[in-house]
Amino acid sequence: MSRNLRWGIGLLLIAGLLLGAFFFLPFRSWLPGGTVGDIATREVVNGSSFNRLFPRPQAGEDLVFTQEKRGFSQARLKRGDEVKALLSISDVVTAPASRSKFLHSSEQLQSWPLVDQGSQASALLVADRFQVKVIGQGSGLDLQQRHELLGAFDLPGLAALNPALKPASKARGREALPAGQGQPVRPKVREREPQASRIPAFLNRSKAVLEPAA
Amino acid sequence: MSVTVLERLERLPRRNLTVLALKGISTLVPGGWRNQTSATDLISDVLGSDDPELIQQVRARADELSRARHEGYRRALSLYDAVNRSQKAAGGLRVLANVAGALPLVKRVASLTPASETLQAVDLSLKVAAEMLAFTQVNGLPGDSFAAFSSSLNEYTDEARVRMAALVCFDALLPLGDQALHRLDGLLGKVGSRQLHQLPAYAGMASLLPGRGEAAHLGFLRRGVDHWLGWADGFVGELGLNSQRAVRALEGTLGPWHGGMEQLATFLDAFTDTYAHTGVQAVARRLVERAAAEI
Repeated sequence: MSRNLRWGIGLLLIAGLLLGAFFFLPFRSWLPGGTVGDIATREVVNGSSFNRLFPRPQAGEDLVFTQEKRGFSQARLKRGDEVKALLSISDVVTAPASRSKFLHSSEQLQSWPLVDQGSQASALLVADRFQVKVIGQGSGLDLQQRHELLGAFDLPGLAALNPALKPASKARGREALPAGQGQPVRPKVREREPQASRIPAFLNRSKAVLEPAA
Repeated sequence: MSVTVLERLERLPRRNLTVLALKGISTLVPGGWRNQTSATDLISDVLGSDDPELIQQVRARADELSRARHEGYRRALSLYDAVNRSQKAAGGLRVLANVAGALPLVKRVASLTPASETLQAVDLSLKVAAEMLAFTQVNGLPGDSFAAFSSSLNEYTDEARVRMAALVCFDALLPLGDQALHRLDGLLGKVGSRQLHQLPAYAGMASLLPGRGEAAHLGFLRRGVDHWLGWADGFVGELGLNSQRAVRALEGTLGPWHGGMEQLATFLDAFTDTYAHTGVQAVARRLVERAAAEI
């Protein structure tokens, strides 16, 4: 075997091993495509901080949480054995397209833009960052019931989770909605003092929950 | 690019042995079961609307979510696939043993296969473990939250109940008899860590189980089964499941069966993929529920 051939085979083997290591060993998680929309998970608000903000179930109803991911939390509202609705809060940072539908919305609920999608879904964009959605299931919910459910979420608490409101963090490459839609119209009167004191608590909590899960 | 969850759903068979077996078992479960293989139908069912533009948006979002590795939907499917492969391997081995037992020259093959009941008990415990790990992947909980899993079992409705009924009937009552659930712990207790290593079922799953080494995995499997048994006992009592009823329900769709129950279980193991089939449907539903909420 010629000397060159041996060198060639040796180099090929090394290159193969390196490539294999890169694709199959733990380096994999460094490659793009691991997260939704290639946005780093630390940029997205964790779903566990949404859970407390869901509406309190009324008598005879039950709220069962089904999914809790980075930037998403979902629960089923059940009456007896029947599922009445899917309630969810999501961080729109990973789904910029979902924000654009609120641009043309004329309706508002507690001063946040409101959109109806099809005959069973209603969505609300809170603080230009979080989408709250109610989807009727089974026999369905009418418009009035869905809007009542949306209003029953702890919307001020949700708005306070927006990292853009914290002085330390920098809002990351998001174009702003027109005035009056990006910001609540009314809440100028009562500024965020009560929530401002709560913000660190949320963050600490969400981080504490996060680390083992991530 | 590999296949997304919704593409997997659309590739599921519409009518074959797996579907017939599930249809048969679903007659025992109130609420019934529909073989959902159309992504469009599933999306419009969840969304309560058949606006094509909305459906298209949900589908695009669902595909994006299932491509993201951190979200765990595809990992849940790979768990079901691993279980399915191991079930086929074990089933095939036992079919081979049955056939080979009748041929004088290869009779020795029959004596090489591990004790059927132990094999079956491990197979069942692997399936329970896969169910739990897939549950945690899809729901976003850490990998060993036994308590959250066992409380969520009570929330299983319609399709998920058929899925569990199929698991109880095909993998416990038929092969191990009516006292299967009470014997399971004892059977698993007999499995040593060296023996576990020799089982084809385990080899495919080992890398997906939390913990290092056979002893840790065995402990994980037994704890998982322990939590599941508490619920399964109530489930069997509530639906009045037993092997006789399971056989009769299956005969309703598969046709008359003249062999023993153990052979029926072997046959189902080797030639159907009920667990992966319903698994894909369950994961697809959760994925669509999320995508519909995020568009």
